[in-house]
Amino acid sequence: MKSIHIKNVSKSLGGEAVLEKLNLVIPAGKFFVLLGPSGCGKTTLLRLIGGFESVDDGEILLGDQDITTMPINERKIDTVFQNYALFPHLSVFDNVAYSQHLKKIPQDVIAEKVMKILATVGLERHASKGIDQLSGGQQQRVALARAIINEPEVLLLDEPLAALDVKLREKMLIELIELQESLKTTFLYVTHDQFEALTVADQMAIMNYDGQIEQIGTPKEIYEFPKSAFVAQFVGTTNMIKGKLTEREGASVIDVASLGSFFVDVPQDKKYLLAQHADVLLSIRPEKIEISKTPVEGFSNMLQGSVKSIVYYGRSTQYNVVVSSSLTLQVFEQNEEHFPQEVIDYDDIVYLYWQKENVVILER
Amino acid sequence: MAKRKRRNIGALIAVKNHWIQKYLPFTLGSLSLVWQALFFYVPLLCVIVLSFTGDTPYAAFQGFFSAVYVRIIVRSLGMAFLTASMCLMIGYPFAYFLVFHTHRLRNLLLFLVMLPFWTNFLLHICAWFFVLDRQGLLSYLLQKLGILSGPLMILNTYWAIIIMMVYFYLPFMILPLYTALDRFDQRLLEASLDLGATWWQTVTRVLLPLTMPGIRVGFLLVCIPAFGEFAIPEFMGGDRTMFVGSVIKHLILGAESEVAGSAFTLISSLVLVIVIGMLYLIIGRLVPSRYEKE
Repeated sequence: MKSIHIKNVSKSLGGEAVLEKLNLVIPAGKFFVLLGPSGCGKTTLLRLIGGFESVDDGEILLGDQDITTMPINERKIDTVFQNYALFPHLSVFDNVAYSQHLKKIPQDVIAEKVMKILATVGLERHASKGIDQLSGGQQQRVALARAIINEPEVLLLDEPLAALDVKLREKMLIELIELQESLKTTFLYVTHDQFEALTVADQMAIMNYDGQIEQIGTPKEIYEFPKSAFVAQFVGTTNMIKGKLTEREGASVIDVASLGSFFVDVPQDKKYLLAQHADVLLSIRPEKIEISKTPVEGFSNMLQGSVKSIVYYGRSTQYNVVVSSSLTLQVFEQNEEHFPQEVIDYDDIVYLYWQKENVVILER
Repeated sequence: MAKRKRRNIGALIAVKNHWIQKYLPFTLGSLSLVWQALFFYVPLLCVIVLSFTGDTPYAAFQGFFSAVYVRIIVRSLGMAFLTASMCLMIGYPFAYFLVFHTHRLRNLLLFLVMLPFWTNFLLHICAWFFVLDRQGLLSYLLQKLGILSGPLMILNTYWAIIIMMVYFYLPFMILPLYTALDRFDQRLLEASLDLGATWWQTVTRVLLPLTMPGIRVGFLLVCIPAFGEFAIPEFMGGDRTMFVGSVIKHLILGAESEVAGSAFTLISSLVLVIVIGMLYLIIGRLVPSRYEKE
């Protein structure tokens, strides 16, 4: 269990800069998720940490040790590969025992250790099977067992659940969390799936298309308080409204063209935007908006619109509401009752409400 | 209307399929069977029968259980193994390089590997004469570089044969190795290194076991024809070293003793079958059989 420090790391692949002067700290013993769109350079960063590629410039520290030029097989870092990369000529047992056979360890000690690890991932009954006799989820577990038997300081996971179906993925996510909690190993999990990231992360970093870190924080911080439009849009869904931040009769408001003014709460670190009367973006998560066919009291902001489309998801329903010629807002409503009092249908005129503290103001 | 039409076509295909499935494979297969029977099994039978038509049934064989002929067979086996081993040692790194470190050049390099097949065999022999001759290219270069003080005296020796053999049989080794390595998942090397293996451990525990089927095919593809090779020893080795091929040629064409020639052919073939069979099993033990995927 050690931390990883990425210091000013640059890397080009095929003449194209993938990472430029990247700085990142992955805290020891945490489940850290690196979330970014496909092709943003997150896998490259993982491969640099694992030692599969060498950095062009910069330093990588494991704890206080500089591992920038350390060969891959000497790093106390193990990897769960995206397609598992299990050895097809070895049994489940021998795959897991692979790293132990390389050292001078007595066979019976190895056997005991391997069976213990296999029991942890629930595969003890499959020890003598071949890799191709296993299901995708089982192969995933073998890859995990093979990596953790070495007791690495850091475990790298490169989109490990990408090949699994949704149900299995959700189950594996919970198992990964439990595994990380019991091992206390530093996990670095790379994914483009925001659902996976929000589920497992203690801390997460969001990487943009240019390979830069946009924001680091807990899943809740990232989701509720995104610091940039990219983060707000990449993690979860959101409604973006362009407007001008200003002050009127002692209250902060945002003037939106052709829609009117909305009350907002301006947090301390955004006060400078207020002073500038800056053009800003208003990010409102769809679930923060209430929808109703009749006017409701007690909300800071209200908008009227007509329902353009309805998407039924089971536990929630998404309404796409046209509020102006250029703006359609998404609204999520929990389906709490079998027979709701108010049924909203296509083309209904509806009122949208939200509290001013539930929106995020973003620089434009 | 359209629906009915489709159904009719479907029925037609079904009938056709039925007919084709029944007779076409047999027709095509029997052609090659006839071909193989006429030009392989019948001659083989002739050789076998001919071998036993001496004064007494076994008379033709008796002469060959002498030290001279045993030595020739052993020497031929040795040459075949040496050729195959050297092809493997040269071919494996080459195939590895080809598969993992070339991108656009790969097809060109593969084409260059195949290129010698496009020119006449005798031209190759002549070319190698120029290279290996005591006044040839190699001799000149080695003397210029100060490695040799006198001319290179390699032509008409065992090593001239081996050089030419390796040169000629190398593609037969490279192609199956190329196929095996092409199917090999390079990420397994990364996985092995990641788990703490040294490069050598990775080669012996992952790369070689998983490409062993290719090694086996390549080894046998070189070994079998190399054992009976007659032209290369004949041209490059002068008349100093005798191999199985030259003995058979000498017996049948020179001494005009088809019976003795057939008997010797039979003996050497049997030896080859036994040795190759054993070799196949030995290499087969190295192939991870239980989880082998073909």
